[in-house]
Amino acid sequence: MAQALRFRQLGVYVCHSCSRTLRRQRRSYATTVQTPDIYDVVCVGGGPAGLSLLAALRSSPTTVNLKVALVESQDLSKTRPFSLPPTQFSNRCSSLTPSSLRFLDSIGAWKHVQRDRVQAYQEMQVWDGVTGARIEFDWPAEKAGTTIAYMNENLNLTSGLLKRIDEMGGVDMLDNQRVEDIVFGEESEDVDLSSWPVVKLSGGRELAARLLVGADGANSPVRAFAGIGSKGWDYDRHGVVATLELEGSGWGGEEVKTAYQRFLPTGPVAMLPMPGNYATLVWSTTPALATHLKTLSPRDFISMVNAAFRLSPVDLAYLHTQASGQTEEVAWRTQHTGFDAQRIPQLVVGVQEGSVASFPLKLRHANTYIGERVALVGDAAHTIHPLAGQGLNQGQGDVESLVKTIEYSVNHGQDIGVQMSLESYNADRYAANHILLGVCDKLHKLYAAESGPLVPLRSIGLRAVNALSPLKHFMMSQAAGTGVKIL
Amino acid sequence: MAAPAPLRATSLRNLNLLLRTAPRFVQNQFRRQQSTTSASSSVNPEEVSHFNALASTWWDPHGSSRLLHLMNPLRHDFIRTCHASQPDAPLRSGLKYLDIGCGGGIFAESAARLGSTGSVTAIDPSSEVLAVAKGHARRDPGLKDKLTYLNTSIEGLPLLTSAEEQYDLLSLFEVIEHITHPAEFLDKCTPFVKPGGWIVMSTIARTWMSWFTTKLVAEDLARIVPRGTHDWEKYINEEELRAHFLRERGWNSPRVMGVVYVPGLGWKEVSSSERVGNYFFGIRKDF
Repeated sequence: MAQALRFRQLGVYVCHSCSRTLRRQRRSYATTVQTPDIYDVVCVGGGPAGLSLLAALRSSPTTVNLKVALVESQDLSKTRPFSLPPTQFSNRCSSLTPSSLRFLDSIGAWKHVQRDRVQAYQEMQVWDGVTGARIEFDWPAEKAGTTIAYMNENLNLTSGLLKRIDEMGGVDMLDNQRVEDIVFGEESEDVDLSSWPVVKLSGGRELAARLLVGADGANSPVRAFAGIGSKGWDYDRHGVVATLELEGSGWGGEEVKTAYQRFLPTGPVAMLPMPGNYATLVWSTTPALATHLKTLSPRDFISMVNAAFRLSPVDLAYLHTQASGQTEEVAWRTQHTGFDAQRIPQLVVGVQEGSVASFPLKLRHANTYIGERVALVGDAAHTIHPLAGQGLNQGQGDVESLVKTIEYSVNHGQDIGVQMSLESYNADRYAANHILLGVCDKLHKLYAAESGPLVPLRSIGLRAVNALSPLKHFMMSQAAGTGVKIL
Repeated sequence: MAAPAPLRATSLRNLNLLLRTAPRFVQNQFRRQQSTTSASSSVNPEEVSHFNALASTWWDPHGSSRLLHLMNPLRHDFIRTCHASQPDAPLRSGLKYLDIGCGGGIFAESAARLGSTGSVTAIDPSSEVLAVAKGHARRDPGLKDKLTYLNTSIEGLPLLTSAEEQYDLLSLFEVIEHITHPAEFLDKCTPFVKPGGWIVMSTIARTWMSWFTTKLVAEDLARIVPRGTHDWEKYINEEELRAHFLRERGWNSPRVMGVVYVPGLGWKEVSSSERVGNYFFGIRKDF
């Protein structure tokens, strides 16, 4: 700013072309003074995917000698000491598949996650809100009690990953700093960094990256720098989240916990178990209805959630037209609706203050995960509909695969950043993620229909699957990430 | 990329030539050259000019050298199996490499990046190819202190006498098939190897199959390799190499690994395939 002012003032006394020369000289002077620090891996984004990547690179004996840095815009010192009383849970939770958990354990991070805040679940109840057709995902006797997935607060995971990274050391943590710009490096007499991305930080540092990893979310600046496009659409749906308190710890007690999901024409509503009497809500609905839900009093919000798992779509639509007074309406209508209480979640009795929030749902898939000296992981590569709870797990799968690719390059003396070295990462992950994105997208669209020929067909589908135990158990194994690898 | 062309007249001529002359080569290919050869260099000028023309595309991952790039990791895997077969533990750091016929530096760069490597000296007679190698190495600041390129042939290197100066590993990747008098050339290489060190090379067996895959398919039909890259008559079979070194004395523990390029999967080790196509050969110098 000061510099710009000076030039403007100079402009009065110096002719235009001379002041342009002055500016140019000034610029070249600045670049010779600021030589970038050279890193093997610079990861932009300190979410679960970025932190897992760094923890994995530091814990592998093959990659431990790489010089690595993390760039994160938020202040990580606030994430590290994550501590909430056992009666409070963050509203941003994710399900971790056993496969993600195995990976987190193998990189030494799982032991730093607060285990008493993690809830495993063993069964799933999924049903159609229009026809009532249902699949009950319960294991055959010999596999009874097998965990399908683990519900965990995202903050609990990032805090555990940070503790693991701190324990090992060796990562230059550049948090609380924005990425100002990403440019290509320069050619000097003895080195040619013209193919190396240089990340310029708001704190003034410049990092040249042999491999720049974009773990920087759906609007990834790294992806933009690499010129990698993405395809997809907005669902015109928002996910409403909240931390709920139930009347009990679930029909199966602490031993057997169940995840519930009901497909409503506006989108699926899911209730996922947390420790004790707590559960987390993910209700996908239209932006208008999401806004309406957020304006309700806690008492009416609780009633609406109970109604979402019990009443008909027609009743729900009516309740959404009321500004308040849902509690009385729901109580009256519930008396006149038949349902099996044991096959739906227990009654919600409380909602944690300040936990009701919403975010837009999108589907995005980058055209490729790799470029010259660039790799994308997690949401920077793909954004999925949350109905199958796979978003965070896909990111962990990306990281595991990318680390394997980097290890292979290091072992064979390849430059870890060049596209040729990264090809196997893209080949390993792209098709697998694409199929999962497509399946979740099709499920969303299938259940968005309220009437028409699809409705009876999808119910036949659900009932048929329910009747075919082997198929059902296959699907459960797939959800758990423990089944036969089909992708 | 150009679409595969139909079988051309030249290919038919090659086939014709092969049918008439092939049996003779099996007998006389690896005969020892008379020491009266006038040229002091192992380098064939025609080969040099061919590779000069290739220089610009050497590092294009989708260019004509893609198969070499894909093969490079296997070279390290093979060297590891050689080292693992030693009764004494191989060095874990400070290994000295001499890479002869380094081309654009695909192997030389990768060797220099390994943690166990002390230094890599890489030589090539083509100045244009070497300029590409040097220019490319500048893109990796980590290589500066470990990798030295010299524009010379083996004859241009000063002879080494002490084991400290000699190399732990002398590599000849895709080189021997381009040499006019291979036996003489190998004799020039051996003094550069430290006692207990290895010569490791890769080449193609001289068989009907290799003629079919490298000349007819790779060069003429699919055109994934530029025409004139290979001279089938110079291909050498594994048993000829083995016999050469063991006859010379002073060498032990020969190892071989046959590899096959499977489209879509890359290079794969296939046991006994050294008899029909590409293979690695390694042999250790006696103490």
